[in-house]
Amino acid sequence: MSKKFSRRARRNDTLAKVVISCGGILVIFSVIFILALIAGTALPLFQSPRADIVASFPLPQQPQQEVLELGVDDYLESGFFIDRGGVFNFFEIRHGKATDQYPAPQPAPDSKLHAIDRYGRMQFGLLWQDGTLTLEKVIFQSFFDEANENQRSIVHRVTRETTFPPGDFGLPLRSLGRLGEDGRRTRIDLLENGQLVVTQFAVSENFLGEVEAERFSETLDTAEQQITALTVNRQGTELYAGTATGTLLRWSLEEPGEAVLRDELTAFDDQRPITALGLVFGDYSLAVGDAQGEVSTWFPVRIAKNSARKVLRRIHDLTPHANAITDIQPSLRDKSLLTLGRNGMLNLDHMTSERHLLSFGERAPLTHYTINTRGDGVVGLTANNTTWVWKLDNPHPEVSWKTLFGKVWYEGYDAPEYAWQSSSASDDFEPKLSLTPLIFGTLKGTFYAMIFAIPLALCGAIYTSQFCRPRLRQTIKPAIEIMAAIPTVIIGFLAALWLAPLIESSLGAVFLSFLFVPAGLMIAIIIWQQLRRHKPLKQIENGFEFLAIVPVLLLTFAVAATLGPLAEKLLFAGDLRQWLFQEMGTRYDPRNCLVIAFGMGFAVIPIIFTIAEDSLSNVPPALKAASLACGASRWQTVWRVILPSASPGIFAGTMIGFGRAVGETMIVLMATGNTAIMELSIFNGMRPLSSNIAVEIPEAPFGGTLYRTLFLSAVILFLMTFVVNTVAEVIRQRLRKKYGRF
Amino acid sequence: MRRNYWKIGEPWVWATGAALSVTLLIAVTLIAVIMVNGLGVFWPGKLQQLELKDGSKLLGELIQSEPVHRGEGLRRQYKIANRDLYGLDFRWIDETEILRADHPAAAIVLEREENGDFFGFLDAVQASGLELPAGAAPYAQLHAALDQVSVMKAAGHATDQQLSTASYRLEQLRRDQLKAEYQGVDPRSSSYQELLHEQERLKVDFEHLMKQQRKEQTNLRQYQATFSDANGRTSNIVLADIVQAYRPNQLAWHQQVIFYAAKLKELIVGEPRESNTEGGLFPAIFGTIMLIFTMSLFSFPLGVIAAIYLREYAREGVVVRVVRIAVNNLAGIPSIVYGIFGLGFFVYGIGSNIDKLFFPELLPTPTFGTGGILWASLTLALLTVPVVIVATEEALGAIPREFREGSLALGATRFQTLLRILLPMASPGIMTGLILAMARAAGEVAPLMITGVVKLAPALPIDGNFPFFHLDRKFMHLGFHIFDIGFQSPNVEAAKPMVFVTTLLLVLIVLAMSSLAIRLRNRMKKRYTFSTF
Repeated sequence: MSKKFSRRARRNDTLAKVVISCGGILVIFSVIFILALIAGTALPLFQSPRADIVASFPLPQQPQQEVLELGVDDYLESGFFIDRGGVFNFFEIRHGKATDQYPAPQPAPDSKLHAIDRYGRMQFGLLWQDGTLTLEKVIFQSFFDEANENQRSIVHRVTRETTFPPGDFGLPLRSLGRLGEDGRRTRIDLLENGQLVVTQFAVSENFLGEVEAERFSETLDTAEQQITALTVNRQGTELYAGTATGTLLRWSLEEPGEAVLRDELTAFDDQRPITALGLVFGDYSLAVGDAQGEVSTWFPVRIAKNSARKVLRRIHDLTPHANAITDIQPSLRDKSLLTLGRNGMLNLDHMTSERHLLSFGERAPLTHYTINTRGDGVVGLTANNTTWVWKLDNPHPEVSWKTLFGKVWYEGYDAPEYAWQSSSASDDFEPKLSLTPLIFGTLKGTFYAMIFAIPLALCGAIYTSQFCRPRLRQTIKPAIEIMAAIPTVIIGFLAALWLAPLIESSLGAVFLSFLFVPAGLMIAIIIWQQLRRHKPLKQIENGFEFLAIVPVLLLTFAVAATLGPLAEKLLFAGDLRQWLFQEMGTRYDPRNCLVIAFGMGFAVIPIIFTIAEDSLSNVPPALKAASLACGASRWQTVWRVILPSASPGIFAGTMIGFGRAVGETMIVLMATGNTAIMELSIFNGMRPLSSNIAVEIPEAPFGGTLYRTLFLSAVILFLMTFVVNTVAEVIRQRLRKKYGRF
Repeated sequence: MRRNYWKIGEPWVWATGAALSVTLLIAVTLIAVIMVNGLGVFWPGKLQQLELKDGSKLLGELIQSEPVHRGEGLRRQYKIANRDLYGLDFRWIDETEILRADHPAAAIVLEREENGDFFGFLDAVQASGLELPAGAAPYAQLHAALDQVSVMKAAGHATDQQLSTASYRLEQLRRDQLKAEYQGVDPRSSSYQELLHEQERLKVDFEHLMKQQRKEQTNLRQYQATFSDANGRTSNIVLADIVQAYRPNQLAWHQQVIFYAAKLKELIVGEPRESNTEGGLFPAIFGTIMLIFTMSLFSFPLGVIAAIYLREYAREGVVVRVVRIAVNNLAGIPSIVYGIFGLGFFVYGIGSNIDKLFFPELLPTPTFGTGGILWASLTLALLTVPVVIVATEEALGAIPREFREGSLALGATRFQTLLRILLPMASPGIMTGLILAMARAAGEVAPLMITGVVKLAPALPIDGNFPFFHLDRKFMHLGFHIFDIGFQSPNVEAAKPMVFVTTLLLVLIVLAMSSLAIRLRNRMKKRYTFSTF
């Protein structure tokens, strides 16, 4: 052998060792990597929000100007403040320099603003000193300058949406004005004497096609309570008021001129004053701030189960302030709220998750503040006229452990619930991301499937490994292993389009066969005791029992199928499904857990069967021989000797089958209704984690809350199967060691 | 004796036997349902003409009959086709409503490009300009006309081909232009001008081809034939829309067999029609096979190397135990978790970075940053690696120590032993693993749904345009096809036959692969296992 050859051989050997070892280790790391990546994607859900100071500068203003309101654009590049003279003063944020001014047209020369009301997307109701109310809207637009290499700049403009003439009641304390989508204008005035006056201008088209405006005016009955806080929704149809004695009032202004008092209730037993009201984005929930610094949200809830009447109820409690709440502003992106305390502390909280997100104003108490429409920038003004601009990193405010796993009282629901509803058509929708019903669905489906699969698979494995003729065994085992290869999409399709209608139309027969099959079996065994005395028939007991029993099974199925409709007619008035609904109160879904039990059970039978059979037939034959030699019957041997020795393997097989059922996607996707309900009934469907991922991930925007929540559910699935598989694998390895081979 | 029989537990033996029988019965039922429903789809069924009590007539194919819900007698379901005339393809008729039923010999079935089948009678062929056998029966005329139209259609296909090539090249040029713009090439430079010039030239060609295609189509559409339905309602059908015309009631059995074979051929090599509920499965079969092979390219070497490492190189100990657990865990992870991993890692992670590096000019339109056959294959490769590892390890483990020791004693290195002795001996086992992995990949749908499978792919992942393999393209898959047409098509009843056929095909593929694998494995087991009791 040449030196060259042996050197090359050695080199190849070393090289191969390195490559192969690297490859092997790579595979191991990939397991860890998969979990790490999925978990890493889900992790930002729990990241606490951050606020970075972008800029702080003295507000560019004249000494005598008094700031009433603040505003800022979405890119945090320019902002504005409104002063007492009704002038919109724009400034740019990076350098803190004033840019231009826009004086709102004054109703009378030299008039000043009396009060200001902020609502909607940078809309302002300006109440002038002569009692005129004007609604102004500030619009920021990004502008790409083609002449200047497409540089982006923000342009702004202020438009007046409408003007309400002064009322005949003098100068009110506060006025709220709204312009509805249908053109209806609503003005609400809180007078010095505590009265509330509602003036509405309804627009209607008469039969000639002309547009007419009608004016309605009325004074609301406030039962002489002192109103301290007031808010109205963006359409001007729901009016809320809070009083100094802790009473909440709600009127519906749906019909012009006919305000209806919907609610009048004592919000706080200790009658503490309500100091601020605000509507959460979507105008369904009301945020209430009180003199003690507590913030709570309320919305109307049915008083009884089927009642049409709804009453305001306290739903969520947010982080309290140290002292009275002076102002509440909603975020315009989600259900977050900004609340300002009298001490100048500003809190950002999310309503649904009740999470306290951020606090502002530790350095100096804030007097004015605002959040941009994107919800990622906050501007605050301190008493010493310093402007602070914060950029928020707050991607998933709606997620908390409670919203993911606990019961949450969602808007429009009558009680706290576990709910999964990730998206809807409107953007003021409250996402419901509870994973509990999904986990429940996964476990429910798995449970029913296992109930069906375990007895069949284990008994089948016992028979095949212990009683069956070896020659037949060599056919049966591969046949069942091939069953494992049948794609689940096919099982799912058959379960949904063939089995589900079949079960639905012959529900009675299905239940009868559950009864008849064991009964038929008993009868067959009793008859067999007589037959087995005949020598030729005794041959069957040499491992052909499972073939001999087939006709009996087919017969009982046939009997059940024939008697099924009859039994339904006699016992359940001809329709078992209807009977179930009327008598038992269970709804029958055509695609239900019964179908899943058959379908998914069939999918996991081969897995359990194969592993159990392996471990059963690997019990050392000496044990079996010894037991038989001692005079035990074949069943006694199996029950007392084989099963105990093989039990770890059987357990491992069951576990692995369980893991498979937990992760099964296509069968449940096709054969259940995929509704996230939490009912144990076998006649209902469910929505498990796996098919939920398959359904929702194509629609989930990359990096969004839904996307990450789905990754979190993948982590849960992973961990569920990981634990189960690891336990099973450790047991199998021990077993292997014990018997020395496998 | 009798008490004894119960006492020694004989009934339990029977009970376990019954469990096994039930399992096998379910499996047999499953296969039987697929076979019965799938095999019968293409058999040309006879058309029945019914006269109903209300005086109307009906021509249709009997699908099934079942007892009337809450009542006496049976009701029958007929496929009545003619979706464009009736709106629905299927109709339930109570047997009590039927006056008379017969099988008219002249009844004709048209398979059409659109609106499903047509059942009716042929009235006349209007095809001036075609050479029709004068004086022949209308049916013969129809066939002569159809033959000529199909020749013309074939010519039209050539134009279509040219058009698609032209549009592909236009798209390429548009990409080149975008790229040049992105790279800041001076618009006045000669290369850029050339690009524009080339584009103009191609556009002229394209327009020309378009015109030609339109002309051919209008020309084709003038050949029509008049048909009438059972009630005498006539309708003109463009010959070019007719895929096939036959009279099922006149077919002899051998003609039926030929018909069946032709339909099978169409299934394998044809393109899908009518939102996948008619026609062939070629793109889906092609996509499935390509997916499996691309997947094997990754999972096979990885799996075999990992198994060799575990069995031949790693030292038995805690590490190897942990690794085995990890591998078996990998096998137990739900496939949807692999899917979401593939989406997060391959598509959004690697894919979008490839886009940023190599195709920045096309952004925000993703090239690799969206699902495609490459990402789906990689995801499946991860999913099937454990199968290959386990099988290879088993195969290596089954080789007796003596072979290794003998080889090493003769002076071979470990690698030489591996290459010359162990791998050849283990090859059937490794093949088993590979085939099982392929079978698994053929049947897996959930991870594909989120990594690039689509219901209708505009182009195959391999075609004649450079660079021939388009791994970024989306693809079709048999398993997803079943899910899609069975659950997402608007007319599930009409789609059912196709779903069953697809199911049958997929089951046959998967079962054939896994039985081959299991046979290989059993043969190997026999070779190296020395007798046990």
